[in-house]
Amino acid sequence: MELIMRKANPFVATIFFIAIFLLYTPLFYLILQTFLNNPYDLKSGFTFRWLLKLFHSPSLLEPLMNSLEIGVLSASLAVTVGTFGALGLFEFSALLPTMIQSLIMLPILLPEVITGLSLLLFFLLLHIELGFATVVVAHASFSASFVYFIMLEQLKKLDPQMAEVAQDLGAKPHQIFWKVTLPNILPGMMGGWLLAFTLSFDDFLISFFTSGAGLTTLPLKIYSLMRIGVTPELNGLSFLMICISTFLVLLLVSKEQSRKWVLRG
Amino acid sequence: MDTQLKSSKPIPLTALVFIGWLFLMTFIPFLIILGMSFLERTPLGTISFHFSFNNYLRSFQYIYIKVLLKTVWLALVATLSCLAIGFPVAYYLARSGGWLKQLGLVLLFIPFWTNFILRVYGLVSLLGNHGLINQLLLEWELIKTPLEILYTRTGVYLGLLYNYLPFLVVPIFSSLEKLDPSLREAGFDLGANRIQVFWKVVVPNIKEGVFVGSLFVFIPMLGEYVIPDLLGGAKEAFLGNVMVSQFFVMQDWPFGSAIAGMLSLLLLITLWIQTRWSRIGGFRNGIDNAKS
Repeated sequence: MELIMRKANPFVATIFFIAIFLLYTPLFYLILQTFLNNPYDLKSGFTFRWLLKLFHSPSLLEPLMNSLEIGVLSASLAVTVGTFGALGLFEFSALLPTMIQSLIMLPILLPEVITGLSLLLFFLLLHIELGFATVVVAHASFSASFVYFIMLEQLKKLDPQMAEVAQDLGAKPHQIFWKVTLPNILPGMMGGWLLAFTLSFDDFLISFFTSGAGLTTLPLKIYSLMRIGVTPELNGLSFLMICISTFLVLLLVSKEQSRKWVLRG
Repeated sequence: MDTQLKSSKPIPLTALVFIGWLFLMTFIPFLIILGMSFLERTPLGTISFHFSFNNYLRSFQYIYIKVLLKTVWLALVATLSCLAIGFPVAYYLARSGGWLKQLGLVLLFIPFWTNFILRVYGLVSLLGNHGLINQLLLEWELIKTPLEILYTRTGVYLGLLYNYLPFLVVPIFSSLEKLDPSLREAGFDLGANRIQVFWKVVVPNIKEGVFVGSLFVFIPMLGEYVIPDLLGGAKEAFLGNVMVSQFFVMQDWPFGSAIAGMLSLLLLITLWIQTRWSRIGGFRNGIDNAKS
């Protein structure tokens, strides 16, 4: 093994470290700005004022709760639908007609701006009032396909003999499903759920089109604050969100099961 | 009999739930927007159900073609730049071992899991007239007036590069990981030097994965809306921005839909070129690598 791990080319290593540095610069700058008296003056001195102000602004609590609720509901819906799909299509997955394969790829390939606008038209034509429910359904509409691919991979790892053994031992089909298949695919479902939740929590564009006037999610709130002009409140919020996502990544990476999905994005 | 054994009974029905869901929530809405593109807007702003190609003919006007070309060009340049930076990054990660690889991956993914709008906001405040870059350059007296980066094409380019880089590192990294190290060793044993091994052993084996990975960066860039909107301003609109403004500013839904149709056609052409260049098997593998 030592032979294979030869010393990295210094040129390649330099590019790696510069790239990592540049990836972090905007994020660290946001954090730094949170603690500056004047966010746009490096020499204006240190303050906790903006961070404290964040905790006294109720206008951010509602978008946060909306984002969390939408994330949980849409991820659960996507995992249900996507897992159904993977269970049903697993055996045929190698020889699915191109039409079906394209249909499954469509939500992944279609640009979000088209997905969002076409869902908007769809809801308007059906006279469905835009709001919480439409955002949940819209998010699940594109994340179900991601879940499907995760579940397909999980099912491939499943030993088919286990179901056969269960059958030989006299288990009925529903017993095989609940006692053999489900416990074995549960880790994949959790990975899929987390991915779907993140896709939903992160999503701006599809929420932008399908939320209507009344509903605000966290990304929508950040966008509207940016539009108004930079407010220190926004920097406080950025600081908080960067902390949360860093914590989340570290938590997920520390667990063997979810590590793979985090590192795949 | 064999398949009968493996599957429990309700399975085909469960597949229908998924396919029905995709059909209803993705395909039908997509058909609606395509159908809309063949209708017409009346002077009153309502939609008349009168089939015509007028919207598509209108989209071939110079201003829209210019936007189209700019979108394709910037997406292409940004994809190639991501490749130029992403390749060494992935290569470094794949060649390093143990804790360094784990740490490198985690470092790469924290920004990636940070909210997208927030990353764009970070760039906006970094590149702005009063941002960090201009503050430092003015402080060190390298420039007299702030550099105009934000709300220019450079801003959009940097935004694309910044936000899509990790997306391309992953597929390159996983293709490199799959490469059997004994192939390289065999190359060295046969007397090839490092450069020869790289070009004759490594590159041909990962070409497919890298190509599909690039495609999965190029395609969303073509449909990008937020980055040109927030980093480019009104002058640097992409097709997506023109489309949205047709819907919400001009209130011309049929024409906005025609732009969506044009964008979809562009994607179809990109995918067609891709399948022409590679075998179907490679394409499927690549998809699994790039997005699973």
